[in-house]
Amino acid sequence: MRWFRFAGLILLVMVVQASMLANLNSGPNLLLILVVFFSIYCDLDEAIITSFAIGFAADLSGSSMPMGPQTLSFGLLGTALAYLRRVVNVRNMASQALAIFCVALLAGALAQLLAVLKGQAFTAETWGILLRIAVYSGVVGPFLFLPSAWWMRIRPSRLSR
Amino acid sequence: MLFTWFLLAGLILLIAPAKWTSNFQFAFLRVFNWPLRIGENISLSVGTREHLTAGDVVSRREHNQLKNYCANLEAKLAREQQRIETLTRLPNRSFLGNAKLVEALVYTSSIDKTNGELSMDAGGNRDLERGQFVLAENSIIGTISDVSPVGARVKLLTSPASNIAVEMGGVKRFMQGIGGNKAKIPMIKQKPEIGTEVMAARSAGFLNTLIIVGRVAGCERNAESAALWDIIVEPALDIDELRDVVVIVMNPRN
Repeated sequence: MRWFRFAGLILLVMVVQASMLANLNSGPNLLLILVVFFSIYCDLDEAIITSFAIGFAADLSGSSMPMGPQTLSFGLLGTALAYLRRVVNVRNMASQALAIFCVALLAGALAQLLAVLKGQAFTAETWGILLRIAVYSGVVGPFLFLPSAWWMRIRPSRLSR
Repeated sequence: MLFTWFLLAGLILLIAPAKWTSNFQFAFLRVFNWPLRIGENISLSVGTREHLTAGDVVSRREHNQLKNYCANLEAKLAREQQRIETLTRLPNRSFLGNAKLVEALVYTSSIDKTNGELSMDAGGNRDLERGQFVLAENSIIGTISDVSPVGARVKLLTSPASNIAVEMGGVKRFMQGIGGNKAKIPMIKQKPEIGTEVMAARSAGFLNTLIIVGRVAGCERNAESAALWDIIVEPALDIDELRDVVVIVMNPRN
């Protein structure tokens, strides 16, 4: 794992997510797409580290939510996906999109519930937003896997695992 | 094991007080302020281009008209706020009894310190009359000398044409304006201390209480009798900074 490249990629995505995509009511969650990417194509230990690190980055850049919920939810879901990868193959774009959709929905819901514990308001509209984010992320996500793999110098053979 | 440590760290982050953890978020915003601003500008410019339709756009002429209209409304709002401020700056309004207070705007360019005069706009108020006292910053600055349909001319206490009854240390005297932002109380037996307050005396139909007009700035021997003093009085406020005044109307028409 090339950690400096990883840090650079995360910082870039954080800035893009917090600025360009922040004005959209519900757009794709790029950090979540990266959680799925690293959970699928990295070793278990690396997947755990990257999931929690990306969750922390999401907490930092997502100023509407208090710190902690996304660190935990991204970390838990990323780790779970890394374990699942042993039994389920995520080879083609359709399965990758489905994986992103499920992780986005579950991680979003878990983060919202954890945020409620910290006093954040929870409205019925939140579910709709979560669903839209999951759909957008699922659609966009698989197309970002290839440039991410190129930047992280992950071999194409691993991509087609 | 690794997972447990990260989970623990996440839980600590979750239960930590928001006022501590929010510092991380602020730090991120501070450090990446520049790229974040660029990203937001790009996003907003793209968004604006996408969402603007023919119904959202007005001609340049209409835009300028609306802009000017907004500027006028803002100026009116500022003026109203100033009026409220002027009235609330009278902490002891009760000392004026049932007198009506008419706010007026001073034309800054009309302030003539040499002759002790100024013009003001009272918005066409019909309660104004000659001789009424004009109050600013809780002190009397002069009396109305002439009334016009929209405003009035004020004769400042320092005007050579001004001569009003005042009280100083319980002694009633007349104060004569001498120009140059000064007034004089002639022929006083006892020399007062510098800084002694000079109050406008009660005047039937115009003023029902004592209100400060100025303070003693100096004492000179009277030219005719060396045993007497001529007292030099300076106004209690700086006329140059005058913007809003209030006219005391003891007998309003309504």
